[in-house]
Amino acid sequence: MAETAAVQNVITKERSVSNPTRGNARAEGRKDPWSQLLERVGRHQDRSAYRELFEHFGPQIKYYALANGLSSHAEELVQEVFVSIWRRSSTYDWRKAAASTWIFTIARNQRIDMLRKMRRTSRETPVETEELWQIPGENENEPVTSLHRLMSERRVRDSLRHLPEDQITVIAKVYMEDKSHQSVADELGIPLGTVKSRVRLALNKLKVILQDSSA
Amino acid sequence: MTQHHPDTHTLMEYSAGNLSEPYALCIRLHLDQCAHCRSQVDTLDSLGAVMMESQPSADVNDDMFERILGRIDTETATDLEVHTEPKVRTAYSNALERMLESDINDLPWKRQLADVSVMDITHLFPDQHDRVVLQKLTAGGKALEHTHRGRETTLVLQGAFADNNGVFGQWDFVTLDNHDTHKPVALEGDDCITLSVLTAPLKLTGTFSRVLNPFIR
Repeated sequence: MAETAAVQNVITKERSVSNPTRGNARAEGRKDPWSQLLERVGRHQDRSAYRELFEHFGPQIKYYALANGLSSHAEELVQEVFVSIWRRSSTYDWRKAAASTWIFTIARNQRIDMLRKMRRTSRETPVETEELWQIPGENENEPVTSLHRLMSERRVRDSLRHLPEDQITVIAKVYMEDKSHQSVADELGIPLGTVKSRVRLALNKLKVILQDSSA
Repeated sequence: MTQHHPDTHTLMEYSAGNLSEPYALCIRLHLDQCAHCRSQVDTLDSLGAVMMESQPSADVNDDMFERILGRIDTETATDLEVHTEPKVRTAYSNALERMLESDINDLPWKRQLADVSVMDITHLFPDQHDRVVLQKLTAGGKALEHTHRGRETTLVLQGAFADNNGVFGQWDFVTLDNHDTHKPVALEGDDCITLSVLTAPLKLTGTFSRVLNPFIR
């Protein structure tokens, strides 16, 4: 029931950002404004939409780079991410991922790529970063599902603000500071088991852990 | 249908981009075949996006957007074509076979025991410390009983094996550590081929097995 209420709520909220002149208000209504902008970039190489995305996500990605220790390369990462967004925008499909999720995975992959290049001792690249870390929706075999995926981002966003600070801190260190659960435990001076239980409690609340999970 | 999955913590570190390449490869190969874990990773990627959004932001240089537009404009049409061309499809079905440039059944295996062959592929993962090994257990064959000094992460690529923990089939994901002693037996049918990442050499528990242990030199 709570899920249904959330869906209603989201659709009501979404209507206000959809463009009523486009006709299919219901389909458009599921898209968040960032996904609409990204689609405009992909379809029409729309530079004003691209600028809006840059103004919103650019400073987030720069902070992400800084938090990950890429201090002198932070702006370079932002540039690489945005050039990559421009090049790939024609493959973006809002049904497969929300724009913010898609952009996060591009930022993550560009960060991994940059670190790999810095660490590299040989010239050889036996495997491309994207063979290992995929951008959502780029697997052509993947069926178009996706209300589930779109809802999951909203659910995560809505639930995150209700999490206790100690759980958010642990997750933030994993995502923003390139830390394993073990290094988070070392840094906070708490047992690995405590880190894992905080993550588990948080993910349960965010319903990331599916009910039939055996993990 | 896979029965044994990576735990949620490992999937989170994958989604955050914090795993080293050999572990990321194991996860990626599992994800290619497991809708259940793919769905979890999708949600974890969304969590990453929301975390990034909920953190402070950092001011970017005023002229950065212009510089990005400049780069897009100067990229020649040919550059763009290269990026939009469909990737060259090879006969190989997954990232590992593309790295090996071979079907896993056609590799130059080194036989260690009657039923056990190995191939060390650590050299494909430069700049990291773990050992990466492919192992093949002949259909119906037995490995020696062994325990582990560190952590061993294994993905079943073909066939299936059984040990005291259960039966592990294709694309199943198994993590063992120094508390686990096992004696894997391959099921009949296909040879069982696994991809393992080892944080430390495993040790055999039986006598006179030191010489035979592929991971102790």
